[in-house]
Amino acid sequence: MSSLSFNGVRKTFGATVALEHFDLEVGDGELISLLGPSGCGKTTALRIAAGFEIADRGTVMVTGQDVTNMPAHKRNMGMVFQSYSLFPNLTVEGNVEYGLRTRRIERGERQRRVGEMLELVQLGAMAGRYPHQLSGGQQQRVALARALAVNPQLLLLDEPLSALDAKVRASLRDEIKRIQVEVGITTLFVTHDQEEALGISDRVGVMSNGRLEQLDSPIEVYRNPSSAFVARFVGSMNELPGFVVGPDAIDVAGQVLRTSPDRTGADHTEVLVLVRPEDLAVSTVVDTGLPGTVASSTFQGATTLIGVRLDRLDRLVTSSMPSSLAPTVTPGDRVGVVVDAIRAICEPIGA
Amino acid sequence: MADVTPSVSGAAVRRRRTARLGPNLVLAAAAVFFLAPLLAMARFALQNVPVIFLGRSTLFKNYSFEAFAKAFHAPQFQGTLVLTLKLAAATVLCTLALLVPTALYVHLRLPKARGLVEFLTVLPYVVPPIAMVAGVAAFFRPNARWFLNSNYALVPFYVVLALPFTYRAIDAGIRSIDVRTLVDASRSLGAGWFTTMFRALIPNLMTSIVSSSFLTATVVMGEFTIAATLSKATFPVFTFQYQTSSARGGVALALLALVGTTMLLGMLTLLTRRGPRRRAVARF
Repeated sequence: MSSLSFNGVRKTFGATVALEHFDLEVGDGELISLLGPSGCGKTTALRIAAGFEIADRGTVMVTGQDVTNMPAHKRNMGMVFQSYSLFPNLTVEGNVEYGLRTRRIERGERQRRVGEMLELVQLGAMAGRYPHQLSGGQQQRVALARALAVNPQLLLLDEPLSALDAKVRASLRDEIKRIQVEVGITTLFVTHDQEEALGISDRVGVMSNGRLEQLDSPIEVYRNPSSAFVARFVGSMNELPGFVVGPDAIDVAGQVLRTSPDRTGADHTEVLVLVRPEDLAVSTVVDTGLPGTVASSTFQGATTLIGVRLDRLDRLVTSSMPSSLAPTVTPGDRVGVVVDAIRAICEPIGA
Repeated sequence: MADVTPSVSGAAVRRRRTARLGPNLVLAAAAVFFLAPLLAMARFALQNVPVIFLGRSTLFKNYSFEAFAKAFHAPQFQGTLVLTLKLAAATVLCTLALLVPTALYVHLRLPKARGLVEFLTVLPYVVPPIAMVAGVAAFFRPNARWFLNSNYALVPFYVVLALPFTYRAIDAGIRSIDVRTLVDASRSLGAGWFTTMFRALIPNLMTSIVSSSFLTATVVMGEFTIAATLSKATFPVFTFQYQTSSARGGVALALLALVGTTMLLGMLTLLTRRGPRRRAVARF
């Protein structure tokens, strides 16, 4: 059993506020991602959990124990870093063994544990290699084995995939998830890559300006973003200007769109309606929906992206449709765009 | 046209040759400037011919290591050499004990102070050794004469004197590894500062530590002003004094010191250049 909680944590660096009123609970065996643009405070939160930074205010608890002021080497954390952090002078085995040696664990037990960890990350054959003889992905797997070898209470991952190329990144991401589930370790994962966060996490915390904007399951964060910031940051959004005409209705370019009642705001408020590309459908029947001209059409295999310039708004919107349903269009074709605004976010203009 | 092209390219080749002539001349002049005195020294030290007869006709006559043998048997030779080697060792130890933690601390905790520290380490270039030793002696003579009486009083001077080289060597080593991440990784694995320093950092700074040590030793092997001012019988001081009684022997010793230092620097260059490759081989 292990858990991590931040309570009202604040951290400043000079005049910069890195974290403000930061609250977060990571439950036993849970994997939570902190997602946000650079400078949003996500790495600071992780470094506070690791003990590399000390919070100015608030408390950090690990499994009920207050660790706010405990130095890093006294906490029992496993951490994987963004840059390659293996000790260049030690072999793979020496690296994984490092934390066990600092804990003065006897030799036989150390070797057993190292073997077990290298098997876990499927690098048993590389035990005698030095870090510079490994690929980036292998190095990060060793770093993961090294972090897990000491049986930490928490696993802290600081953008461990960002230095890798796309293909390795995807496979290592799945492997991290597999190992995390297998070991059942409570994990905090920091990333600026939404695909990573959505793909790996039990819950995603989206951060902005030192605050947690939304903490929810990946599906909820994507489908029901709590703010325009979250909506824009996670996935892409089309932005259509309009105004509120009823508790569940918005007028966009003369067409009334239905949305959910809790999203609109006061009548006649001018708003930007944020709609996901998959909530726009393109039809060759111009009269259905908002008329426009096709600007681009990109076949992506399972989906097709169609860019349309809307006549009345003079705005480019993007629709993402399953290729089986998407009409065959070429730039210059006249089309109608049907907007499903039921999950749209309305952001008051000038707010 | 066909005739014109080769002549153009011929001109280009000639131009290139002329362009290369300048740098080559400078290089040759520099080589003569450095090598001629060395060769003259070697001839003077090795040839047992009176100075007035040294000339083209005696170029290959009477070579022997007699002057070297004599110098080696001079009563002070061994004592001063051993003292200088001890001073070099002590200076290396002090320099490393002082500079490695300082450079790491500045790098990790006070990155803004890096410029200031770099400036401070260059100061020994600006302050002439004679001014430094005069000032320090003026302070210590009335206050702590015992300090100046000890031969090891030279060590702090040598540490300061070598600073411009040693700090740079260590700083370059620190910059070449990701110190912050290694420290964080080590600490997150339960290691305190001591373990982190000796198991995670120093092994990875070995090349720059070795360079810095050689540079320090080189400075100590050649320092004269401070040792002479404080009346210490170091090897360079002995060399100078010996020269007054035996010109040939003095030159022989000076040549030996020069060759020794050059070999040290050569070893240093080899070590730093071959370092990674050698390690890679050993690692397989």
